[in-house]
Formats: sequence, structure tokens, C-alpha cells
Amino acid sequence: MKKISLTVNGKLYEVNLDENMRLIDLLRDELGLIGTKEGCGEGECGACTVIMDGETVNSCLVMAFQAEGSNILTIEGMERNGKLHPIQQAYIDAGAVQCGFCIPGMVLSTKALLDKNPHPNKDEIREGISGNLCRCTGYNKMLDATEKAIKYMEEE
Amino acid sequence: MTLNQVYNGSSIEEVIELLHEYGNEAKIIGGGTDIVIALKNEKISPKVLIDISKIEELKKIYQNGEYITIGGGVTFTQIVESNLFQGNMHGLYKACKMVGSPQIRNKGTIGGNIANGSAAADSVPPLIALGAIVTLESKEGKREIPLEDYYYAPIKENELLTQVKFKRLEKDQILTFSKLGLRKALAISRLTISTFVELDNGKIQNVRVASGALGKYPMREAEVEKYLLHKKLDENTIESAIETLKVSMDERLKGRSTLPYKRVAIFSILRETLEAAIAFENEVKA
Repeated sequence: MKKISLTVNGKLYEVNLDENMRLIDLLRDELGLIGTKEGCGEGECGACTVIMDGETVNSCLVMAFQAEGSNILTIEGMERNGKLHPIQQAYIDAGAVQCGFCIPGMVLSTKALLDKNPHPNKDEIREGISGNLCRCTGYNKMLDATEKAIKYMEEE
Repeated sequence: MTLNQVYNGSSIEEVIELLHEYGNEAKIIGGGTDIVIALKNEKISPKVLIDISKIEELKKIYQNGEYITIGGGVTFTQIVESNLFQGNMHGLYKACKMVGSPQIRNKGTIGGNIANGSAAADSVPPLIALGAIVTLESKEGKREIPLEDYYYAPIKENELLTQVKFKRLEKDQILTFSKLGLRKALAISRLTISTFVELDNGKIQNVRVASGALGKYPMREAEVEKYLLHKKLDENTIESAIETLKVSMDERLKGRSTLPYKRVAIFSILRETLEAAIAFENEVKA
């Protein structure tokens, strides 16, 4: 067992880990944050995307012990004061959420994109979510959602 | 997975000491984008894993005199966001920008791309075309080796790949890159070419052509280099260079099912790199 401390969604955790655990296993099985999904387990689909120290990562490709001292944001940490984050609201309003499996990762990729580049053009938005597969929407809804989210955030 | 001991490395010295202690029982993890899959599928089964992703001295890009040095732990995103790889250095930027996806680029490292030894490693052909030198450190000391020779004397179990360095380009030297993948994001390279040329009034004074996924390892393409040297870089030269490279490929990939496809693809891929060099030269002149 390996003891590490890390911050997830603003809360400090100290956990005893199995050395063989990946970050996604820690989040889901130990911390109960099951919003993060596992799709392919190989970094192709992006369903397991979380934000680690300001950058998106595939949590299926990070070993849990590597998160020692890290600051992690999962989909559960997006809401503010009991209200959905404007990006989440925009995804719903744009009809970008269909089966929903890709959405936690997709929303976090969108957040990381807008944190770095608050006014991306369409190509930049496509590039920003290029590591997240969606088999329902065809991605145009995500573009609409991101543009809506930019508007919502400006109006705040 | 078979791990029973993991370490969060805090310095190069500490990691080298651990590698010395554990030998072939230990593996290094940097960005993890390849090794975590190998661990999960039990393609490798080390007892010890040593994380180097938080060692600051491995995560720096710096200029020192005529050299640019990239730490082994520098991520593709760091290269893409650096202002050092614009203009005539665009080939390295482009190769790193085309790796995987944002998530993969945020984690995947230059050191891992080399040490993992894949024939399709995107960042390696431009680094070979730059004439890059790799530094490997162990308890026995440091060893420096040209990247193009690295694959014939690759990393040993007690070594850590600490940096790769190359000479800054002069203004008449141009590095370009082109990749064929099966789709835009997350595509493993089917074929990559990176070209370094030094031009004097359109004439090639110095040239290195490096390929990826055209053999067991990324490599220099000696025949096409020999052809290009001292030629005027124009349409006729490009046509003949493509034919020359096809001959090299025919010998190397004889009997491979991918050969007919790669023979056609090389037409655009080599052309793109050489045309980009011409376009850059014209832009600078204008």
C-alpha cells in the first residue's frame, strides 16, 4: 500500500492505495466519484477525462500514485452553489447530451479549452474536443453547446 | 498488474539510484500514455514503478549558446506552447501538435516517445532531422548518442533518458514535417517524413531526411539525401527525390502488405515537406 494525498474537487484526501490502481480506479472505486467513465481504457475515447493540475488527462492512463500532491477536477466538481456550471447548462440547452456517456469527459475538455482560450473559433473547438469520442451527436451539438457556454459565461 | 512498490521520483539522482538498486524489476513511468496500457494488458510486469513526471529538472526547455535542450519529461503540449518552435523550426511543432489528442499531448513526453522505441513515434523524425543528441544517465555516468544511432544502442535498464539537444537553426535552415494518419486525432502514424534543408539561393547546401514508420525504427534516408544534396530545390528535384525514396522503400519493405500503399502515399508526404521548405524560403525573401 502507498499513502498519498491529493485534492479532488477542492477537497483534500489522504488515501492508502493499491500500487496497481489507476487514477480512474481511485476516483470511482475509492472516492465514489462515478461521474468519470471508463470507455476504452486505452486513451482513445476520452470518456475518463479529468482535469489534473490545470490540464486534461485520460485518467485511465495515469497511475493513481502519480497524483500525489495533484489537484484534480472531475465532473462532480463543476457545479457551483448547487447550480450547474454554464458549460453543463449549455450542453443541455443545445441538445448535446444524448446517451450521456461521453459528456463528463466532453464537458471537462470544453472547460480546459475555454480556460486557456476563452474565445475559440470553430476549428479550435473541434481541436479542443478531438480527444473525446461521441457516438450519438456527430459533434455539431458540442460546437453549438460550446458557443452557447461562451455566451452564458459572458453574461454572468 | 504486478506492482508492489512505487516511487514518486523527486530528482534525477534519486531515480538513477533506484534504477541501480532494482535493475530489471523496475520501470520508469513518465506521461504513462503507453506504459499504463502495457501494464494493464500485462505485456510487461515490473515489480517496481518509478514516476518521473514531477521532476522539475526534466521538464525544462532551454537555450544554451548554440544548443536548444529539451528535458526528457517535457510534454508535447509544452513544445506546442513554446515560442521556440515557430518559423523555420515549425516541423517539430507540427509533429508534436499531431500527436494523439489534447489529453495525450498533455501527458506524453519527448523522452517517452524516444525510449518507448516505436517506429511510429511522431517527434522522432524531426529530432533526427535536426541531428539531435540524446543523453542517458546511469550510476556509471552519462552517455551521449546521436538519436539516429540510439535505436541500435537503446536505453539500458539502469539508464534514464534525461534530455535531448540539438543546434539552433540558422535562418537559411528549415525543418518541415508531414504525417499520414488514418484520421486527424488519435491516429498512429502510418508514414511520416521530416526534412531539414539548408538553402543558398534555392540550392540545397545541407540536408537530412528522416522517416517514421518506414522501417523498424525512425531513420535517416541516405539515398534521397544523397540525391538532394547540391540540387536546386524545385519541382523536378522533388519528383526525382520521390522516385529515389520509392526505390529505398521497395528494398526495405519488400513483401510487406503495406508497401503498395506507402509507395503511393510517399508521393504526397515527401512532397509536402519539401514544398513547405520552398514556401518558407519564399516567405522569408518576400
